Amino acid sequence: MAQARALSRAAWARENATEFIQTHVVNIAGGLLFLLLVVFLLWPISAVLVKGVYGPEGFTLQFYEKFFTAYYYRSFLNTLLLGVLTTSVCITAGFCIAYLTTRGPRFLRGPLKWLTLLPLIAPPYIFALSIIMLFGRRGFITQLLNLDLQIFGFTGVVIAQTLAFLPLAYLIIENMLTSLDSSLEDSAANLGASEGKILRSITLPLLVPGFLKGSLIVYVMAVSEFGNVAILAGRTPFLAPDIYTIVTGVETDFHMAGTLSMFLLLPVAVIFLVQNYFYKDKGYVTISGKPSYAEPRRIGWLILIPMLVVASIAIGLIVLSFAVVFIGGFTRIVGIDNTVTLAHIMDWRANHALISSLRVSLLAGLFGAALGILIAYVVVRGRVQGRGTLEGLCLAGFAMPGTVLGIGYLLAFNSPPLLLTGTMIILVLNSVFRFAAVGMEAGITKLQQLSIEVEEASRNLGASTPTTFRRVVLPIIFPAAMYGFIYVFMTTMVSLSAVVFLTSPAYPLVAVFIFQWAQYGYIGLASATTVKVIAIVAVCLGIIQLMSRWTGFSITRRD
Amino acid sequence: MLVLNDVHKAFGRVRALRGVSADIDKGELISFLGPSGCGKTTLMRIICGLTEPDAGEIILEGRVINDVPPDRRGIQMCFQNYALFPHLTVAGNISYGLQVHKWKRDRIKARVEELLHLAQLEGLGDRRIDEISGGQQQRVALARALALAPKVLLLDEPLSNLDANLRVHMRATLREIQRKVSITTIFVTHDQVEAMTISDRLVVMNQGVVEQVGSPVEIYEKPRNEFVAKFIGYVNILQGVVKDTSDTSGSAIIDTELGESEIAPGDSRLSRGEKIYIIIRPEAVRIDTRRSAGQMNSFAGSIRSVMYAGSTVKYTVDVGGKALIVDEYDPTTHGIRRMGERVVAEIPRNVHILKSGSRASVLT
Repeated sequence: MAQARALSRAAWARENATEFIQTHVVNIAGGLLFLLLVVFLLWPISAVLVKGVYGPEGFTLQFYEKFFTAYYYRSFLNTLLLGVLTTSVCITAGFCIAYLTTRGPRFLRGPLKWLTLLPLIAPPYIFALSIIMLFGRRGFITQLLNLDLQIFGFTGVVIAQTLAFLPLAYLIIENMLTSLDSSLEDSAANLGASEGKILRSITLPLLVPGFLKGSLIVYVMAVSEFGNVAILAGRTPFLAPDIYTIVTGVETDFHMAGTLSMFLLLPVAVIFLVQNYFYKDKGYVTISGKPSYAEPRRIGWLILIPMLVVASIAIGLIVLSFAVVFIGGFTRIVGIDNTVTLAHIMDWRANHALISSLRVSLLAGLFGAALGILIAYVVVRGRVQGRGTLEGLCLAGFAMPGTVLGIGYLLAFNSPPLLLTGTMIILVLNSVFRFAAVGMEAGITKLQQLSIEVEEASRNLGASTPTTFRRVVLPIIFPAAMYGFIYVFMTTMVSLSAVVFLTSPAYPLVAVFIFQWAQYGYIGLASATTVKVIAIVAVCLGIIQLMSRWTGFSITRRD
Repeated sequence: MLVLNDVHKAFGRVRALRGVSADIDKGELISFLGPSGCGKTTLMRIICGLTEPDAGEIILEGRVINDVPPDRRGIQMCFQNYALFPHLTVAGNISYGLQVHKWKRDRIKARVEELLHLAQLEGLGDRRIDEISGGQQQRVALARALALAPKVLLLDEPLSNLDANLRVHMRATLREIQRKVSITTIFVTHDQVEAMTISDRLVVMNQGVVEQVGSPVEIYEKPRNEFVAKFIGYVNILQGVVKDTSDTSGSAIIDTELGESEIAPGDSRLSRGEKIYIIIRPEAVRIDTRRSAGQMNSFAGSIRSVMYAGSTVKYTVDVGGKALIVDEYDPTTHGIRRMGERVVAEIPRNVHILKSGSRASVLT
């Protein structure tokens, strides 16, 4: 009798434990994820910022003092101006194109969209290469029109950065425009408002949150992705290349790098706060009602033509850049010896880097997507406090200038317990935690559309939480995961700002290779390797697209 | 006042409107009624100028307005989802059109007050759109549309986002406001009860064509074809052949699916041997247990299903294999019949008839 009771008590305890884990599995996972984000985001970032105020003799402001006495404050102002200019031009052009692809003539929508997104598959500094080849002293257009252009400095940098980050601005604004109920504009038209008036009084005000979000991302990219900047800056100083020089130069000074990082981060933090606190309540959700599927109104010529002009200039430059880089990859020395050659493309030095980039990117894509989706699930479905913090932390990783996070990893994982410097893991981890937010955002959107009842139905039929996640949730959020994977993969293939501090001879990355060649003036080699990167990314995307078509999962539609 | 003349519109291969014509009188409330996808919304968008028709004319007060831009037509539309501007207040929404038309500030203020009063929204002018209820949002949309005193008001499924009780209440409010400003109103809906209760006249649409235009009574009692009959409420359709006609009594003997019946065909002239369809509404059929089946128009059957709905009970009576829908009122007094109970169903003498030769009278 007693034995039986003991047995049953043991069984009861075991059952209780299982039940406990089952009911709290989401929260436990949330805790673990939080811990991961703290270790791989918060710690490295703090490590950098602390360096800026903590010298060999303890707390000090001497580095900040140096910042204002040396030329660095000019770098800061230049960077600020670069960010503001790039962001304004990018958002304006992105809006024009997005407006055209959502409300413009139907036959234009597809081509405009795909051409605008083209830079996503290329390293951002492809535009530094193309600008040199087009408008440099021996550039195609310079020679053709006999011009005397000064591309090194602000002009070149802003143009290159704008083109490089136009797709990001475009995607965010297009997303906002698509979800903007078109009956609002119809209604305004019906009340007698002209096209211009509708744009000013309805469309633009409603897009403000989108503009802020886009600005934040474009700004961060523009000031931290320093490939274009370093190649085209000439004698104009900017923060990100300065940091690069300070860290990789002869006299490495992490304290100064920490101080500069603070100033790189400051404007980002301001935009982030404005977006999250001042505009939080003003995020307009479309109120009530079914969406209307009505055919949009025709845009008037007065609106259409200026937008077409802006779009054509931007897209023209993008296409021209791709073309010229392609040509450059097959030309002996552009502008000097324009004979066709296969020498650059056959050059073997980059191949090792290509393979290792591909491996890092695929791994980062897989883990980045998984991490993003898991965080999304905890954020939407978890019941613990601090889910907002989890989401915010993940977003902060995304909004963090790559340069800062790169140095952070260098500082944080340079000693036990986590000695990762020089390994492939550090490259993968860096990308995973920098870009997981993209998969997370997509996942959150998907999950919010999926009613909790669907999951409850599964549990009601006897499935456990993990089973429900695997059998019900996963298939539904698969497109979001796929989107996250593609983004992390593509960005890791081409991004430079963080990994430039983390590569090692054993694990060279192709982005770093191209950057260095371009800096030393090996335009042909840099172009040829860029062409290879574009080809590889394009092929990978093609395979994914085919796979998604076979399996029936749509990845291009992110709804 | 507003005339639609043979309006056509296709979206790619989908032919949304296939020759729609209608004549709308000044000051009336006319409903366009039809199932989802019958082209109602497209027609509204064409009337107010947001969509261009492929062919046909829109004539307002004797003038063709096809080429008049939407803002000059004097036709105002209330959108199905209200399309209220979320970044403006209630007053901001109502005054939007006035500001666009550059009214003076004090005139705008006065007009907005007037409209807030009309729409029973006093004191809500400064509220944000997401701070008011669904019914209030509906009235803001209405007030905004009325602000410029349009000649024609279009209401596209205006009540479809409200819950059932509020809907009935808003129906009355809407009608009241419409009468007060006596504005020509086109009301689009797929809810036949809503359409019947609110309108002066109905236009029943299906698959891009007008099936019938008429007063609610006409549409209900004299549907022109099977689609209209079935779309407006429940209906029994009996197939039959004319066996004999009598000019003196004005009645005819019809051999129906139930058996031989004597009916008064009303306006329709029947000839011997003709195939016809008899339309009988469920509330016109009477059921009884005491009556014997031998009498004229009375047929023996049994109760196959019972649906209790408070004020009525809806029965399906099986008469020799043919299912007859019957409504019986006031079950509290009459009691509720049991399943399988043997009854006698009596069909009325005065019925509406569809001839099998008339255009698309019976679709299936």
